[in-house]
Amino acid sequence: MENGQKILIIDDEEVVLDSCTEILQGSDYEITTATDGGRGLKLVQEFRPDLVFVDLKMPGISGFEVLEKIREHDSTVVTIVITGYATVSSAVEAMKKGAYDFLPKPFTPDEFRLITRRGLEKRTLVLETMALRRERELLRENFAAIVSHELKGPLSAVQQNMFVLEQELAGTASEDQKRRLDRMKTRIKDLLQLVDRWLRGMSVDIEAMKENYQPLAVSSAIEKAVESVLPQAVRKDIEIVTSVEESAGQVMGDEGALTEALVNVLGNAVKYSPTESKVSIAWERKDNQVVISVSDTGVGISEEDLPFIFNGLYRAKSAEGAESGLGVGLAISRRIIEAHDGSISVQSKLGEGSTFVITLPAIEG
Amino acid sequence: MSERKRLLIVDDDPDFVEGIRAILEGADYETDVAYNPKDGFQALKRRAYDLLLLDIMMGRGAEGIMMARKIRKDPELKELPVLIITGIREQIAFLFPGKGVHPGYVPVDEFVEKPVEPEHLLERVRSLLDAAATRKGKASR
Ligand SMILES: Nc1ncnc2c1ncn2[C@@H]1O[C@H](COP(=O)(O)OP(=O)(O)OP(=O)(O)O)[C@@H](O)[C@H]1O
Ligand SMILES: [Mg+2]
Repeated sequence: MENGQKILIIDDEEVVLDSCTEILQGSDYEITTATDGGRGLKLVQEFRPDLVFVDLKMPGISGFEVLEKIREHDSTVVTIVITGYATVSSAVEAMKKGAYDFLPKPFTPDEFRLITRRGLEKRTLVLETMALRRERELLRENFAAIVSHELKGPLSAVQQNMFVLEQELAGTASEDQKRRLDRMKTRIKDLLQLVDRWLRGMSVDIEAMKENYQPLAVSSAIEKAVESVLPQAVRKDIEIVTSVEESAGQVMGDEGALTEALVNVLGNAVKYSPTESKVSIAWERKDNQVVISVSDTGVGISEEDLPFIFNGLYRAKSAEGAESGLGVGLAISRRIIEAHDGSISVQSKLGEGSTFVITLPAIEG
Repeated sequence: MSERKRLLIVDDDPDFVEGIRAILEGADYETDVAYNPKDGFQALKRRAYDLLLLDIMMGRGAEGIMMARKIRKDPELKELPVLIITGIREQIAFLFPGKGVHPGYVPVDEFVEKPVEPEHLLERVRSLLDAAATRKGKASR
């Protein structure tokens, strides 16, 4: 248990504030009180409590509103509602708004002590979970970078010597031998590319990237993505149909990264489509979201494969006949999109086609 | 000025060095090798080189970058052309989060990526040597 955790109690009845303070006297906690929601919320910012008790029935700002504001400010702060009318419905309502528990009035000192301890334990848990999650993220970033470097080193050395060997044998090697050399070079090149893409996609420091986010028009990222996959489409005689709603708004983000995310999805649509077909990309504004969808009439993905295609280093069975791939594109796209607080999902039917839907939070402007 | 140019390679991977050394010597350059920045720096102090080929990721992290910086601060060496050979181009981002890596970021003349095609390597080397020769020509005029 941590020492010196901070508790804020917001209640319009001074007796409640006084008795709560008294009950916890002599403990390690730091306690502050407020007699209305407005002052309470100010203290949430200044005092930075770990645990907040909120009376549901107060004049002025309601307890529910206070709960909501606290959650907006910092969703890791644990809140417990004090309710004079301990009806299940108001308590349930409060828990829906994110309250951790409720305390019906009147309560005994023991009840109060117990719920306080539980609330603070919860807070410790929440913080630990967050720290762990961040640590895992960091580990992944560095792990990807280090492992990839360890893989790239030897591969580069092999390839470099292969280049030399090829030169040295240029005059004497038979056609068969030359072909063998070529095959080896190609495979190493593919492997190097895989490591490269994986490293770039998985080791990017998301937090650092976020610091450089700027408002950008989704249409511009889409245009660039279309441009980048156009050569492949032309080669297969596939038409890319765009339908863009011009005034659909902007998102906050990194244009290069978002374009890369789109290129992977759009590139797949082309790659897994038959020649002379159509791939369409459309985007629209839905409430405060920008929704981009990419559809094709290609090989589709079976139900068994669907849950895994965003995990990385995975290829669906239906991809077997199609062009080669590394199975990392979608994992990278997902990571980029999630770093933009968006999501990516897919609907697909084997043999009929697939639709990938990317959702990003829109900003005004 | 037809005497053979002398190049120093600083890279901690002997197998990789073997690969580029063969290419450079095949093109009639003289080459020396150092397998860590410390030896590399000593070699540079011992005799004059026309060009340095420098690996970025050596030892525990990006020691090549430190070496490039040190060279640029050294009055005797700051004119030495440096060609960085790196396996980590933009991936270097994990060392310098949020910053794109471009030639201006590390004080060097050029980057090439590992592995490097023989023609491409020779072309870079030639152009750096030419540029250095032009600089020298101007300075002495
Ligand atoms: N539009 C699509 N139609 C059918 N299958 C798809 C489509 N997009 C993705 N898939 C399936 O999902 C798998 C993972 O896609 P992902 O883009 O990550 O890898 P990839 O295309 O195989 O290789 P690469 O990493 O080179 O892009 C693919 O191998 C394929 O089986
Ligand atoms: Mg793909």
